[in-house]
Amino acid sequence: MAGLTLNHVYKRYDNSGKKKKVKNDFAVKDLNLVCEQGEFVALLGPSGCGKTTTLRMVAGLEEITQGEIYIGDRLVNNLHPKDRNIGLAFEDYAMYPPLNVYGNVAFNLRAKKVDKAEIDRRVREIAPLMQIDDILDKMPVKLSGGQKQRVNIARAIIREPELLLMDEPLSHLDGKARQAMRTEIKRLINKIKCTTVYVTHDQLEAMSLADKIAIINFGVLQQFGTPAEVYDDPVNEFVASFIGEPPMNILETTIIKKDGMFFFTFKDSNLQIAVPRRYYSVVSDGFRCKMGVRPMDVMIGGENSHGTPEEIATFENLGDERRIGIHVGDILLMLITEDEKRYKRGDIVKLEVREEKTHLFDINTGDRIREKN
Amino acid sequence: MHSRKQRGLNILMNVLLIIYAVFALFPLLWMVLISFKSDTEVFTTTFIFHPTLSNYREVLLRSDYLRYIIDSVIVSGGAVLVSIIVGVPAAYALARYNFPRKEELAFQILSYKFAPEILVVLPLFMIYQKLGLYDSYLGLIWVYQLISLPLLIWVVRGYFEDISVEIEYAAQVDGYSWYQIFFKMLVPLIKPGLVSSALLAFIFAWNCFTFPLILSSNKVYPVTVAIMKYLGTDSAHYGQLAVASTVSALPAMIFALCIQKHLVRGLSFGAVKG
Amino acid sequence: MARIQLENISKAFGKVQALDGISLDVKDKEFFVLFGPAGAGKTTILNCIAGIVMPEEGVVKFDDQIMNLTDSAHRNVAMVFENYALYPQMTVYDNMASALRSKLYKADESVIKERIQWAAKIMKMENLLERLPSQLSNGQKQRVAMGRALVRNPNVFLMDEPLAHLDAKLRNSMRTELKEMQANLGSTCIYVTHDFMEAMALGDRIAIIKEGKIVQIGNGDAIYYMPCNEFTAQLMGDPEINLIEAEITGTGNPYSVQFRIKDEQIVLELPEDNGVYAKIRELGLKKIHVGIRPQNVKYSFEPKEGYFKASVYSYESIGNKSVIVADCGDVFHNQLRMIAPNGLNVAIDSDVYIHLQLDHAIFFDPESRKYIVRYDEAAYIALAAAQEER
Repeated sequence: MAGLTLNHVYKRYDNSGKKKKVKNDFAVKDLNLVCEQGEFVALLGPSGCGKTTTLRMVAGLEEITQGEIYIGDRLVNNLHPKDRNIGLAFEDYAMYPPLNVYGNVAFNLRAKKVDKAEIDRRVREIAPLMQIDDILDKMPVKLSGGQKQRVNIARAIIREPELLLMDEPLSHLDGKARQAMRTEIKRLINKIKCTTVYVTHDQLEAMSLADKIAIINFGVLQQFGTPAEVYDDPVNEFVASFIGEPPMNILETTIIKKDGMFFFTFKDSNLQIAVPRRYYSVVSDGFRCKMGVRPMDVMIGGENSHGTPEEIATFENLGDERRIGIHVGDILLMLITEDEKRYKRGDIVKLEVREEKTHLFDINTGDRIREKN
Repeated sequence: MHSRKQRGLNILMNVLLIIYAVFALFPLLWMVLISFKSDTEVFTTTFIFHPTLSNYREVLLRSDYLRYIIDSVIVSGGAVLVSIIVGVPAAYALARYNFPRKEELAFQILSYKFAPEILVVLPLFMIYQKLGLYDSYLGLIWVYQLISLPLLIWVVRGYFEDISVEIEYAAQVDGYSWYQIFFKMLVPLIKPGLVSSALLAFIFAWNCFTFPLILSSNKVYPVTVAIMKYLGTDSAHYGQLAVASTVSALPAMIFALCIQKHLVRGLSFGAVKG
Repeated sequence: MARIQLENISKAFGKVQALDGISLDVKDKEFFVLFGPAGAGKTTILNCIAGIVMPEEGVVKFDDQIMNLTDSAHRNVAMVFENYALYPQMTVYDNMASALRSKLYKADESVIKERIQWAAKIMKMENLLERLPSQLSNGQKQRVAMGRALVRNPNVFLMDEPLAHLDAKLRNSMRTELKEMQANLGSTCIYVTHDFMEAMALGDRIAIIKEGKIVQIGNGDAIYYMPCNEFTAQLMGDPEINLIEAEITGTGNPYSVQFRIKDEQIVLELPEDNGVYAKIRELGLKKIHVGIRPQNVKYSFEPKEGYFKASVYSYESIGNKSVIVADCGDVFHNQLRMIAPNGLNVAIDSDVYIHLQLDHAIFFDPESRKYIVRYDEAAYIALAAAQEER
């Protein structure tokens, strides 16, 4: 077992063969990441953000343009993948069809000419852990998606790797199978306590599985932190809108000053929300920025509420919760309530916002604006 | 270090490819060269000779060679046309409908191509004589489409199977009749397959030798047989032979160049979810 | 727009009975959802209405007119297919125009243009009109497929899982948009889905389909709060409802439920409720299945009065909240799910203390698995009836 350190890692694809020079040709830019031993780290981002490239560089399947990668305290830049002591589980890592599950799991060890008795011992040890002990004799074609994925992971960890790398292992499964397998993976990794890097574009998967999440966009690390940190304390607009479902409401706002108090105001809307006191040091009258608030932190006030009256545009009853959409200018502000009351489109309600839960973002860069201490 | 090794490998690869290209193209090149040589120079292996157009004059203006080409076009084109008219609906039926013994039927259509031509040509000769199809356009078209039809059906069937049946449903719901759907929605989608298989079928028919040699004589005279005329029993006019061959290769080439852009497959992808 | 009726429709494909006596009455301007697991026959019902599939038995009526012998071109329905079925050789504009250019529904090019621009604006795809389907993302294709249906003025919109292939985020935002759009259009719409949230959010009424039969028809509240059997209860809710096999003890003042967690006997008193108590007495129930939704299971990481102990099997985010699954041994036929906020620090296999809010429980017969009674039944019947009036 060992940690993983990425030190100022860059990746640039060689575009010399192509006619058109791509302007922003770094697939990964100045990536610094430290995964502690035994940690489960998710690389999360939209497709094409460089997360898979990063994983492939760690695995040694892709050359590193610049920077250093350490597994434990070994510099692995120039090591062949087979010498890096890593386990790989890919999205569609095909199994060897003529071999049964046992043969597939044992394949790597056989290739390394490990003693037969030792192979058997290791396979028998790992099979119950992966819940594949009853399918060891089956052929790959007869397995379900979930079983295949378990065999896949068993193959990766049988070598007792220092580092386990997974690239969207669940993206072939759907709905319930996916959710069930997610739970399984979480429990397995928890048992074997192997340092794991997991690539996904699904924020739910990352939020559910990872000890820490590295959110990447356009090859640049946006934020690296625990699920709670990235959810409650996003560093910029991208992270705020990427994490959470439904996503955070983000609205352009102009701050005005009234009777010594600051308020958020919105274009084409009467809605006014008080600016929390802690931001008074950074805002001024006429200050323009973006305001973010999670749907859970917007509420419908009672009869005595001082909230702004607004018209309901959409009402969705989802059983245990209700989602309400209200037009603020041309943006649909979503709120979630567990209140049992049934509304309908066109009802006028008073809108309240948990002011202390609002976030401010720079109107141009999208960076978080924080209060000054 | 690394890049030098790579470059060395690249050069080696290119040299090998060039050797292969020369090997593949040389006979064609030689044919074209001979067509410009006079009979006396035919056997010189150097590339120095006195180019002449006399062979061309002889073949194109002083013989009936153009008529033979027209015969070939009529017969091959007719066969391809028949194949399209019969084959496209057949391919659609094989792709869309389920009926007993469907796969056997499809296989049987393909099996027409299995028998060596020489095996069937003699019985055909007898039958044609009786039916009066011997040495007629219809007779040759009839036998040529045995070559082109199976190919066309099998290729086009694959294209029909690639089109999701929901596209037809969607068009039905949109208010189109079956014929309109077939011609407006489906035909454009199978066009790449149809064009490429029609081209191949045309070339096969064009190059067919055994059938016209035996099943036709004076009235219908396709180029493949006509070329033989320049190989006399006592003398061989290699220059004229080369002209005839070169010219006979042209229609297929022109045809292929014209429809090249339709040969690109991929239009039918991406319409339904990826 | 029209009223759509199906009477006793049956259809078999070879030996598979796809539909078995389906009867539906979809009112004019209603948004009607067909909801069920994959392979239940939902798409076949749509195809019967569209005229793509001929039922072997039964009658399809549009506004009291029998349509069985009318082909799909003449039924004037607009359909959105699960795989979108866009015409690959046509631009988005031509795709959308196709129905209005057919002989049957012919319109002037100027009218077509106007309709397309209107639909494109609703679907927010004005910038896509010149593209080919192969140049679109899945989300965009889905919009085009919807837009192609919208430009028409059909008897009914038929939508077959139009959101199924989108990722979760896009699906939810599209669902919200669809809801808004439908409210604006006021059209009859029959919508097939296997997603519980779509069914709840969109449907004026929902029909639960299982193995070619209708299990239950009702509005979202009626089905969610009073599912007619355990199948429906499990289908309606994500995470799924918890079902506990329990024995009823006590004499009626009060009754209790008794079940085992690993080696421990748990006895919980059933809160007083006239309806529930009367039903137990009337049927003389000894064994019962207690259904309790995850949001009515409360947790604590400290021992607490009225809480019993279990261990954490998993803790996972489902978006704006998380689910804790507790390992409760083998008496529960599955694990116990409960709702928790995001971002808690929960270690796997650590202890968790659980409290069931039995005053939200739904009771099922252990034999037939059918609904018996629930708490506050009268109130929920009233709630469902109020929804019906809208």
